[in-house]
Amino acid sequence: MRAGLAAPATMTAAARWTPALVLAAAFCVPALGSRFYTFVANDVVIWALFATSLNLLVGYTGLVSFGHAAYFGIGAYTTGLLMKKTGVSFLLAFPAAGVFAGGFALIFGFFCVRLTRIYFAMLTLAFAQIVWAICFKWNEVTGGEQGMPEIPYPDFGWLERLGAAVPLVGGWRTAEYYYFLTLGLVALCLWALRRIVGSPFGRILTTIRENPERAEFIGVNVRRYELAAFVLAGGFAGLAGGLFGIFNRGVFPDFAYWTKSSEVLIMTLLGGMGTFFGPGIGALALILLNQQIVSYTEYWPLVLGTMLVVLLFGFPGGLAGAATALWRRARTRPRRA
Amino acid sequence: MQRRMILVALLSLVLLVPVAADAQKPIKVGMPMPLSGPPALFGDPATKGALMFVEELNAKGGVLGRKIELLVRDSKADANEAVRVARELILKDNVDFLVGTLTSAEGPAVSVVAKENKIVFIAPIPKTDQLTAADKLHPYVFRVAATTTMGGRSAAEIVAKWPVTRVATMSFDYAYGQDVTKAFVEHLKKVKPGVQIVDQQWPKLGEQDYNPFINAQMAKRPEAVFSSIWGGFFVTYSKQAKALGFFDAIKYNFIGVGEAATPETTKSMGADYPVGIWGNSYDAFYWGETSAHRDYVARLSKYLKDEYPSSWAIQGYIGMQFLTEAIRKANSTDSDKVAQALLGLAVETPMGKLTIREKDHQANRGQLYGKTVKDPQYPFAIMKPAVYVDPSPFMD
Amino acid sequence: MPDPSFVFAQSLSGLTAAMFLFLIASGLSLIFGVLRVLNFAHGTFYMLGAYSAYQIVQWLGPGPGRFWLAALGAALAVAALGGIVEHFLFRHLYDKEELYQLLFTYALVLILSDVAKIFWGTQQKSVSRPPELTGSFALFGATIPHYNLLILLLGPAIALAFWFVLQRTRAGRFIRAAALDRETLGALGVNVDRLYTVVFMLGSFLGGLGGALIAPMRATVPGMDTEVIVEAFVVVVIGGLGSFWGTFLGALIYGQVLSFGILLFPRFSIFAVFALMAAVLIVRPWGLLGRPLR
Repeated sequence: MRAGLAAPATMTAAARWTPALVLAAAFCVPALGSRFYTFVANDVVIWALFATSLNLLVGYTGLVSFGHAAYFGIGAYTTGLLMKKTGVSFLLAFPAAGVFAGGFALIFGFFCVRLTRIYFAMLTLAFAQIVWAICFKWNEVTGGEQGMPEIPYPDFGWLERLGAAVPLVGGWRTAEYYYFLTLGLVALCLWALRRIVGSPFGRILTTIRENPERAEFIGVNVRRYELAAFVLAGGFAGLAGGLFGIFNRGVFPDFAYWTKSSEVLIMTLLGGMGTFFGPGIGALALILLNQQIVSYTEYWPLVLGTMLVVLLFGFPGGLAGAATALWRRARTRPRRA
Repeated sequence: MQRRMILVALLSLVLLVPVAADAQKPIKVGMPMPLSGPPALFGDPATKGALMFVEELNAKGGVLGRKIELLVRDSKADANEAVRVARELILKDNVDFLVGTLTSAEGPAVSVVAKENKIVFIAPIPKTDQLTAADKLHPYVFRVAATTTMGGRSAAEIVAKWPVTRVATMSFDYAYGQDVTKAFVEHLKKVKPGVQIVDQQWPKLGEQDYNPFINAQMAKRPEAVFSSIWGGFFVTYSKQAKALGFFDAIKYNFIGVGEAATPETTKSMGADYPVGIWGNSYDAFYWGETSAHRDYVARLSKYLKDEYPSSWAIQGYIGMQFLTEAIRKANSTDSDKVAQALLGLAVETPMGKLTIREKDHQANRGQLYGKTVKDPQYPFAIMKPAVYVDPSPFMD
Repeated sequence: MPDPSFVFAQSLSGLTAAMFLFLIASGLSLIFGVLRVLNFAHGTFYMLGAYSAYQIVQWLGPGPGRFWLAALGAALAVAALGGIVEHFLFRHLYDKEELYQLLFTYALVLILSDVAKIFWGTQQKSVSRPPELTGSFALFGATIPHYNLLILLLGPAIALAFWFVLQRTRAGRFIRAAALDRETLGALGVNVDRLYTVVFMLGSFLGGLGGALIAPMRATVPGMDTEVIVEAFVVVVIGGLGSFWGTFLGALIYGQVLSFGILLFPRFSIFAVFALMAAVLIVRPWGLLGRPLR
């Protein structure tokens, strides 16, 4: 029985309020005054959404995708192209990222879910490399190798004007406004994803993960549910990509390259695939660790690889798994006396 | 139970330790450069040239009484990585200026970061015209490298003198390759009407197997070939081309404007180098036409502990020269004042006097061009004669 | 209309590229066929083979036959590394989920590629072709370097040798049996653990050999592992995961698509290769010569 997938009724009050507290704390980061902290926090928040979207596929449905970066890339290029080349506003460009990514996920996923295990993984990889190859070579549209530097920020003029009237709203830098926007949007997406996995639909997904044949036997159209999960995961990854393209000040083809897919997979594993917030914690841990380690050594991949091996052998539940087990141990201890 | 606690405790410690804060006194300059992979053949010495200049300057007291601290980061010759590294240099390390990037994908991407953060950015190597084009120019970007227009046209002037009519090109499919080839072709058609471009190949940047491209080009029977393949990539390309008899087929009527004749390249290839081709270089330790140059080479040779020092160090050196001269002239490290001081600034570099012109922030940086020959003095090929081509007629 | 000597030359270069890929991909296919794991680190073994060959050549100095010694030495070194990794680490993951095995191989990529950087630095390394093979000859109007010809002959030779081992020797029969049914083989008294290690070492040997042999033709440089592993995946998928001759066929197809793709649709030759991979997976997932996984 995996920790954390329990229904909300059995969660303690603390567990229920933690996400809200974390969100509030996250909003306070720019107040610390360091542009760098805001930069890192923004990075973490977007990757948290990306990793959580992947977990919908891997953790909840049991489908291991090696090409999730494709949808991230499609989302980034969609928003980038719309905002930079055609001047469309963020209000449209952002949802468009999700729609386009979800659309491609529908097409690619239709073929992928007909396969299992390694073939599924290979096909997701193939489609991701196709997306990468197009972004890399279609110079006229995507900028090719150079990518598209300078994606405009959304217009924050309205916030500035609001700030004149409402305290605390005004006076921030553009990057900080963008951080608040990202944080709000990601929180919204995570809330939506939470509702999805907590719903009957989500529970059927876990049933499929645990035993696809039994699910089929009890009347579930496994293929259709898997495709739905695929599309949702792809759509949310696209939204993360759209946000990232602007944050990164440029969209580049390696957003869709397979090594990006493995990065987000590692985050998901590090944080814990068995819980909803695991991947988000994984994103936080990985990015912070990266920052710390590279100030001491250039051999970050060596450290990451070693950490990964330790995780795989010792802590398959990831950080969240370890933390939850710790929590439960702590809670059951008094009773044993 | 124990080990889980230890893991959690360790992790929280690591996460809580704040990222190191830096002292404020020295002037911090960020330098994103490719330090790994084939581009490192050029990127690594460029960094060393900058470091040598900084060391010499700091020994004399620095500028405005403050020392310079150079923060070098590996940009991996990737635009995405260069942007990331540049932003971290600005936000985390609080650099005052940026001098760096090598490829024409990195340069324009970092230029955007510099613009948004109002940090002066001097590009010592990226050549694409797009970096300083009218729609991309902003007050904080400057270039002390040659441009693709200069490179393409200089090469066209040279090829125009060859007794050939069928010409082919082989360049990487990205900003630099596309722009320099276009400039070459346009100018060649102007100065040598009747010339025919019989083939154009566009391998991707970073290609490892050039055989299909070389075969395809040889099939069109060109009499001369223009290529902008550079760095470690040129090493791989020319090795494969030589094995296929490519250079023999075109009688060595080949010009490699990706600095194919630098001592770095000829040295690293040794006997595999296709001696007899034309190439260019920003510098050559054997040029020595001015005493300033000879003095610079002597110091560089000592600093690098190399009898035949690198030709790429000079670009890092010149980049830092311009920056520190501008700081001195502006008497401030304020970005706007330094940017203002850079306009029209003239500096005596080891290659002669260079001036950054006001209209497009571009320096009149020419290059040495020449045909490679085997010289008994050195264990590798050199350009003889190595002629400095003045870029002034080619800059517009 | 392109002339025949050019078509010949182009298909030859496609064949040469295919032979290299075959060497690398065959090891990958072998490991997958028996151990049922797709080894991401196979590209890194290939890279280590190239670096090791470079290093051994440096140690041995110039002289006849040095390069071949270096290539063999490099392949053996990589095989040894594979054996150590399998025996002490990988073995303990066989009963875990496939995802963990895959991620372990990816962790190996991270660790080993950084180890290579520590030992050999980040600059490009160059290995010269062996002095006996620096020449070339002309055939049908195309220039064929001697070294390329050797590779063209070596590829099928190694394929035949392995086919022979797999089909005609006792060890080969055990390997094929382990690919079909591990438990029964164990019940019959065969030391399956040791067999797995041997197979992993054999696969790594092939990967390392491929890297060593390709070193004179390409740059030995960080990042060559992540590039080649995807190419190897394409080959193995097209030919059929676990099928030896399938890998050979897949490599041939890949080489020709890439080299003629450059002529016919230059911008999209990379795209064509992955589109082919996707097409095979959609239409016939177990590849051209493979068998459906059980």
